[in-house]
Amino acid sequence: MKHICLLAVLCLITSVLYAQNPAGPTRFTLQGRAVDTLAAPLAESTVMLLSAKDSSLVNFTRASSNGSFAFKNIKSGNYVLKISFVGFIPYNEVIKPATDAVMDLGDLKMKPITRELFEVVVRTAKAPLTIRGDTIEYNASSFKVPPGSTVEDLLKKLPGVQVDQDGNIRAQGQEVKKVTVDGKSFFGNDPKLATKNLQAMAVSKVQVYNDKTEQAKLTGVEDGKKEKTVNLELKEEFKKGGFGKVTAGGGPASNGLSARAEIKGNYNKFDAKKQFSVIGLGNNTNQQGLSFNDYQDFRGSNSFNWNDNADFGFSSGRFLSFGDNDETLGIPIAGGNGQGFSNNAAGGANYNYDTKKTKLSTSYYYNQTRLELNSLQNTRTFLTNGSFRTADTSNQVNFNGNHRVNIRLEKQLDSMNTVVFINNSRLNNGNASISNFQNLYRTDGASLAEALSTRNSTNNISTSRQFGSANSLIYRLKFKKKGRSFAASATYQINTNDGNLNLRAMNQFFQVTSANDQIRLIRQDQATNSLRNEYKASLLYVEPFAKKFYWETFYNFDLRFDEVDRAVLNLADTGPVRNDSLSRYYKNNYTINRLGSSIRYSFKGLNLSAGLAGQYFTLNGEYAPEKQSTNYQFIDRSYTTLIPNVSLNYDLKNNKYLYGGYDKNVRIPSSRDLQPIINNTNPLYINKGNPNLLPEFQHNVNLGFYYFNPGSFINLGLNVNSSYYVNQIVYSRDIDPTTLVTTTTPENITGGKNLDSYFNFGFPLKKTKANLNLNSQLNFGQNLTNINRILNQTNNQNYTFGTRLDLTPTEWLTFYANASIGRTNTSYSINQSQNQTLINNNFSGDLTLKLPGTIYLNSSLNYRINKNDKFNFDQRIPIWNASVYHILGKAQKAEVRLSAFDLLNRNVQITQYAGQNYVQESSVQTLARYFMLSFTYNMRGVTASMRRNNNF
Amino acid sequence: MCMKKLFILFGLLLSIAANAQNTEGVVNFTRKEYWSRIINRMTYLSQEEKDRSAQIRKNWEEDNKGEKMKLSFNENESMYTYGSEQGETDDGQYSWRHDEYKLYRNFEKDQKIDIIQMLGKTYIVEDSLHTPTWKIGDQIKEVAGYICMKAETEDPIKKQKITAWFAQDIPVSAGPERYNGLPGVILELSLNDGDVIIEATKVTLRKLTPDDLKMPKLKGKKINDAMYDSIIQQRIAESMTAHQNPFWSLRY
Repeated sequence: MKHICLLAVLCLITSVLYAQNPAGPTRFTLQGRAVDTLAAPLAESTVMLLSAKDSSLVNFTRASSNGSFAFKNIKSGNYVLKISFVGFIPYNEVIKPATDAVMDLGDLKMKPITRELFEVVVRTAKAPLTIRGDTIEYNASSFKVPPGSTVEDLLKKLPGVQVDQDGNIRAQGQEVKKVTVDGKSFFGNDPKLATKNLQAMAVSKVQVYNDKTEQAKLTGVEDGKKEKTVNLELKEEFKKGGFGKVTAGGGPASNGLSARAEIKGNYNKFDAKKQFSVIGLGNNTNQQGLSFNDYQDFRGSNSFNWNDNADFGFSSGRFLSFGDNDETLGIPIAGGNGQGFSNNAAGGANYNYDTKKTKLSTSYYYNQTRLELNSLQNTRTFLTNGSFRTADTSNQVNFNGNHRVNIRLEKQLDSMNTVVFINNSRLNNGNASISNFQNLYRTDGASLAEALSTRNSTNNISTSRQFGSANSLIYRLKFKKKGRSFAASATYQINTNDGNLNLRAMNQFFQVTSANDQIRLIRQDQATNSLRNEYKASLLYVEPFAKKFYWETFYNFDLRFDEVDRAVLNLADTGPVRNDSLSRYYKNNYTINRLGSSIRYSFKGLNLSAGLAGQYFTLNGEYAPEKQSTNYQFIDRSYTTLIPNVSLNYDLKNNKYLYGGYDKNVRIPSSRDLQPIINNTNPLYINKGNPNLLPEFQHNVNLGFYYFNPGSFINLGLNVNSSYYVNQIVYSRDIDPTTLVTTTTPENITGGKNLDSYFNFGFPLKKTKANLNLNSQLNFGQNLTNINRILNQTNNQNYTFGTRLDLTPTEWLTFYANASIGRTNTSYSINQSQNQTLINNNFSGDLTLKLPGTIYLNSSLNYRINKNDKFNFDQRIPIWNASVYHILGKAQKAEVRLSAFDLLNRNVQITQYAGQNYVQESSVQTLARYFMLSFTYNMRGVTASMRRNNNF
Repeated sequence: MCMKKLFILFGLLLSIAANAQNTEGVVNFTRKEYWSRIINRMTYLSQEEKDRSAQIRKNWEEDNKGEKMKLSFNENESMYTYGSEQGETDDGQYSWRHDEYKLYRNFEKDQKIDIIQMLGKTYIVEDSLHTPTWKIGDQIKEVAGYICMKAETEDPIKKQKITAWFAQDIPVSAGPERYNGLPGVILELSLNDGDVIIEATKVTLRKLTPDDLKMPKLKGKKINDAMYDSIIQQRIAESMTAHQNPFWSLRY
């Protein structure tokens, strides 16, 4: 009953409303004429009809040449008519529902935008100008003021605004009564307070408009008076901020180990131009370096830089390398658990300053590690007749501390010229004490019966102090002609190493007949000081000589000075005596001149290049037992080599890529390998240089194919690599049949070759829930070595097949599994009876569960099998880790975690390797079961990593 | 003196604007993607990962020169595609293949044909224009020498805010990407508050040649707008579940 009443009332109201407007048509025509203030027509002006509700565009038309326009047959309703014409303030008029079939608005007068405003703001400054009735909006960034300027300085730059000496502001000729910040009054109503105190940097927009007077606002009664008001809109501060995190954890002593602890933290502060970060870590849980993520947080915008290689070469980028040039000047990035037991500490600071023209990055980083390694090693070495086994027990403690400084400055001189300066330096302090106990057993061919032949015990203490610094200056020039470019670079590198070794060894030879030869004691102090200075320069010129074709030419110059002073003192009872056969002083000068040229074709994804370089290399050296010696001997050698290069990159249709190439690597003999110096640090394994050594050439052919279907997520990759060696530098082995002392000498051998292949196929079993990946690696190698002056050929055939399963069925459960089985067949031409098969299999699984109440559970198991049936070697090691963690608080910024590492207490590092004429198994005692309770606070919130992110 | 010059210039501009039949020509665009902003929208990433990505990408984004695009238009038709026949580095020394991307519009017949290669397939989208609902603003600014007005709309599938600046005096409804339907040709387009910005660098008013509007004969899967939308929608949902950025394989 009630409802019917209500309905009746409603009906009544509607009919009354309808009755009030009986003649209102449902469709009508809207017309008018766009004119300027002098009634001249604005021909072709744009006329738009917008919905009054949300300004959405309903219809539009163009005015005719006399400015007239008409919208025909439009639905009755509320509209906004908008007319725009270049140089005029857009015209807006509200259209109420029509009463007649034709609504003629007559002449609609449009006001021109102030000439000054239009030309300066819109055309010259390219700033968006907002015109809402009387409001004009200036984009502050379009008006340049020096750093530190106040808003007053900024206002002085704005067209249509004047600021007098006292700071009074006038806009469009009227005095500004009020300045607001983000629409709010700033320190009362004195406009000067805001403009004199506020930094121009903080302002994003300046709006000038007519506001109602305070009186009108208060009473709500329009008094018709308007006050000129300036509103300052502040910049969003999203580009400024800081983030950081800290993790601390500890675990009780157990399992024969002392208590475990780790702490790690970093903090970053940044704004639009600057990034500053600090990082620190300390632990006794074998975490040595920064993780990849830590490194990126630390270096920020300078984590990765392209084109920093000062040694220009073929576009594929390979450059000659020296045999022992292994300076590690960059910040080390290390992942998981190392072997042995290590105590680690590291810390550093990084500062980046980036503007469009200048990019500066500087960092200092210190890290130190004390590593304790206790290892057992079994090596079987094959001779032409029989073999022998070396059982080695070694205990060592190493300490290594590194200071690193990295500086990079990139300066864009103008749009065509860029200069980059890079300095990477490292100062290293290290010491090590090693005690080693070796038994060598001669094995009788068939019966495998062993007889103790030689025993060695060594105690070495060594210290070293190294300094390395590399400084490069790269200049790049672009030309007006697209594709033409020039680059020049200069590099200076210095490396020094001062090392001391106290060698104490006792060797017992049980098979020798003469009593005099049975025991040999070595007590030596060895001091080695080396200095290397290297000067390099490179030039590169690229000329586009036809459409799609480029001609590249490069030149490299390299001058290197090596100086080594090695003094060996025999410690006799009467005092130290210089050992002239082991002491040596030498100087080497190397020069390399390389000139290369290549032709490159590039079109629609087919990039093909072919080139040739010629390299001229000289080595001048002098050496003597000591620096003051008059009896110097000389090395004087030069080599000329041609280096061809081919490279292909082909972007085929439908996400298929083909790539490949041929290149030739040249390896220059290292100075150590060239000098006939005997190194007896290990008295049973002696190294000797070879002054007749030639450079090594490695010919490489590489071919690959990759396919990815982003629709079905199927991916496929295939890669084949093969190399062939000419004059390969191989260490020949001469084994004394009686003492079993091995002497190695570098020699040139031609004929070594490798063929490596990799295949990968991945596809979803069920989209987003299960992925399967199959892969295989097939590697074949043929290595040649002289063993006791007989050429031995070792053939390795390695077959590895793997599969990976990713299961991500729900948000609360993820499971990742891996399996790989590997088999290596090795054969030795000098001793076929020693042919053998190594088996390396690995299975792992990783499960994460999300439990109610932001509690997470993770458990992983890794099972490793290493087998060699020939020697009954069979190691099966399961490593089980588990952790449970809880994310705390509403803001989720903290996490507490209980972790257990190696629950089964089985951890030991096992390696198996089949070399030129030996097979080696080694096991290193490594941090096994321990427990840890840790706490993390992350300013940006802790997120549980349930699912591995595929990429950003 | 200076004022006088400006005045003459101003007058000249006005007369050009009023007289020229600006309904046929070619617009060259630069299309820049701001990946740190796009990555910032991935819900599966932690704030830490987003910050890391933004810090590392900062300098790269500043150096990014963008992709060149081209819009050919006359009163009734338009064609939008790449500005060059291949993808290439700034110096042109290295090139790669473009995915097919050609958008044809016929405003008179209310018809569109899009050839879009995505997700490992070539699609041919044929449908009527389906002009989005544009809201017209009160801002003006200059783009490539033309005074433009601001208009806004929303992509209902990708949930993106779209801002377009259309020329007041080129009365053609054409525009870059899949956007059109304003009283003037769109000279600047900003997707989702600047995640991707497509900005005109040059406008050339000239007679079109038949080649300018020619669509290649390509085999592909024929679909309509509704199917296109559902493919995009499904892909975004799938990728977000798989913790993968959908826009590595979809045009933003």
